[in-house]
Amino acid sequence: MAAYALVSLLWIAFSDALLVHLVPDPVLRARAQTVKGAFFVVVTSALLLELIRRGDLGLRTLGAEVRATVDSMVDAVLLVDEEGRIVETNRAAVELLGVAAKEDLLVPLRDWGRRFDLRYLDGTPVPYDRYAAVRALAGERIKAYDAMARRADGTDVYFSVSAAPVEGAGHRRLAVAVLRDVTAARRLDEMREEFLATAAHEFKTPLAVVKAYAQLMQKRAPGDPGLTVIQRQVDRLNRLVQHLLDTSRLRLQPGEGRRDTFDVSSLVAEAIEEARPSTPGHALEAEAPAPAVVHADRERILRVLTSLLDNAIRFSPAGGPVHVRVETQDGEVVVSVADHGLGIPPERQPRIFERYYRAHAGTDQDYGGLGLGLDMSREIVTRHGGRMWFESVPGQGSTFHFSLPLAAQEAS
Amino acid sequence: MRRSVLVVEDDQDLSSLLEMVLADAGHRVRTAPDGRAALAAVAEEMPGVILLDMRMPVMNGWEFAREFRARYGRACPIVVVTAAENARLRAEEIGAEDWLAKPFDLDDVLYTVERQLAGGDEGGAPTRSLH
Repeated sequence: MAAYALVSLLWIAFSDALLVHLVPDPVLRARAQTVKGAFFVVVTSALLLELIRRGDLGLRTLGAEVRATVDSMVDAVLLVDEEGRIVETNRAAVELLGVAAKEDLLVPLRDWGRRFDLRYLDGTPVPYDRYAAVRALAGERIKAYDAMARRADGTDVYFSVSAAPVEGAGHRRLAVAVLRDVTAARRLDEMREEFLATAAHEFKTPLAVVKAYAQLMQKRAPGDPGLTVIQRQVDRLNRLVQHLLDTSRLRLQPGEGRRDTFDVSSLVAEAIEEARPSTPGHALEAEAPAPAVVHADRERILRVLTSLLDNAIRFSPAGGPVHVRVETQDGEVVVSVADHGLGIPPERQPRIFERYYRAHAGTDQDYGGLGLGLDMSREIVTRHGGRMWFESVPGQGSTFHFSLPLAAQEAS
Repeated sequence: MRRSVLVVEDDQDLSSLLEMVLADAGHRVRTAPDGRAALAAVAEEMPGVILLDMRMPVMNGWEFAREFRARYGRACPIVVVTAAENARLRAEEIGAEDWLAKPFDLDDVLYTVERQLAGGDEGGAPTRSLH
């Protein structure tokens, strides 16, 4: 552009001087000047046109390259406009959802969700206002969460979705959603869980035989303490196996599960009675001033209690009181299990709800366990609409709490 | 003559143990290693109660229960003996009258058998707690 300006300037300055020398006749010179001016206009117009054409071509090339890039991306991309319409997508999306062409996906997002039956992993439909792209249109950046959809051929596909707002041309707001196919990983997970469940299941028949024979021998010749120990250890082994079964079942069958109406206080009493014989060194106490009726899966809540009691006992090896309190407040019941045991080192506290994580692993305070109890417990409680949390001071002990909505509250 | 207890279980050790315990308590016990053998035993003589394992070769507990109900309806209560995560669910699945979760207490086995021989609960649906 600068070169063009310089050349033009020089041309204007010197062309007239040149003409004076070349054409002495003023009449002829005036004509020549007209021709020169016209020539100048034509040449500069052509030059400008060429420059514009090149710029435009560059832009168009860029546009095509961006489109080709989006199209070659491994992850599915949906570009959604302010009205919630999908305005651009890519090949990966076509493949992910098994449709014939991109045009099949360029529809309002709401219709898209309905057609492909967009669901969370537990099978509940994702409400429209929770769609990643819809939230992104409102300015939110959505980190990956897992969802599933039904492909055109009827099979389910699992993906993780993330989305971000995009500032379009002329302040037009857009949202870009990226869907990463995680079906293969999910299948592998399912196989692993299925294997765990089968293995745990297979353990139970031999456990049943050992336990029953120990009982039979004890009935016939009472007094041998070894037979009691065998039964106790079988029960312990069974609890571990049950944990494996529980966690894998929970993962394989997301969703609500069954519901019974029962009193949490009496369930606490039951859990304590069950735990007491195996731990004479601990004083297990329950404090439940009033009944707290909930609408929940009784077996699973019992497992949560058993698991928390198990931890409290295991991690207070010196014995001492284990205190279980049942309180009702604001439409929910809060159960707290407190021990005076080892406590959890602060740096390990953030990870204790992770599956397989064992806070005391590799320390001289490793009292065993599979690292499944808390993960499972929290999963169960969360599915019932409750929360789980804890306080812990090393050397003083830990208190684990969980809440459940009270039955009356839930119904209202 | 008192009606018999039919133990349908493929694990030989468990089967003979149940036979021994129930016989000790005065029951007449017959055993079958799978669903098909159990159907034959039922055809021969209708038992008073059936203890039914679920995972078995040849014919499993689900198939047996379906076949039994189709032929005999509710002529005899079925007690599911299962290693499943949730024994009660399993019992509900096949419409069994009661269940025992592996590993079980022998007292529970005897109690459950007696109860079902005596006519079970009102309505027949499993109502008791697992523990």
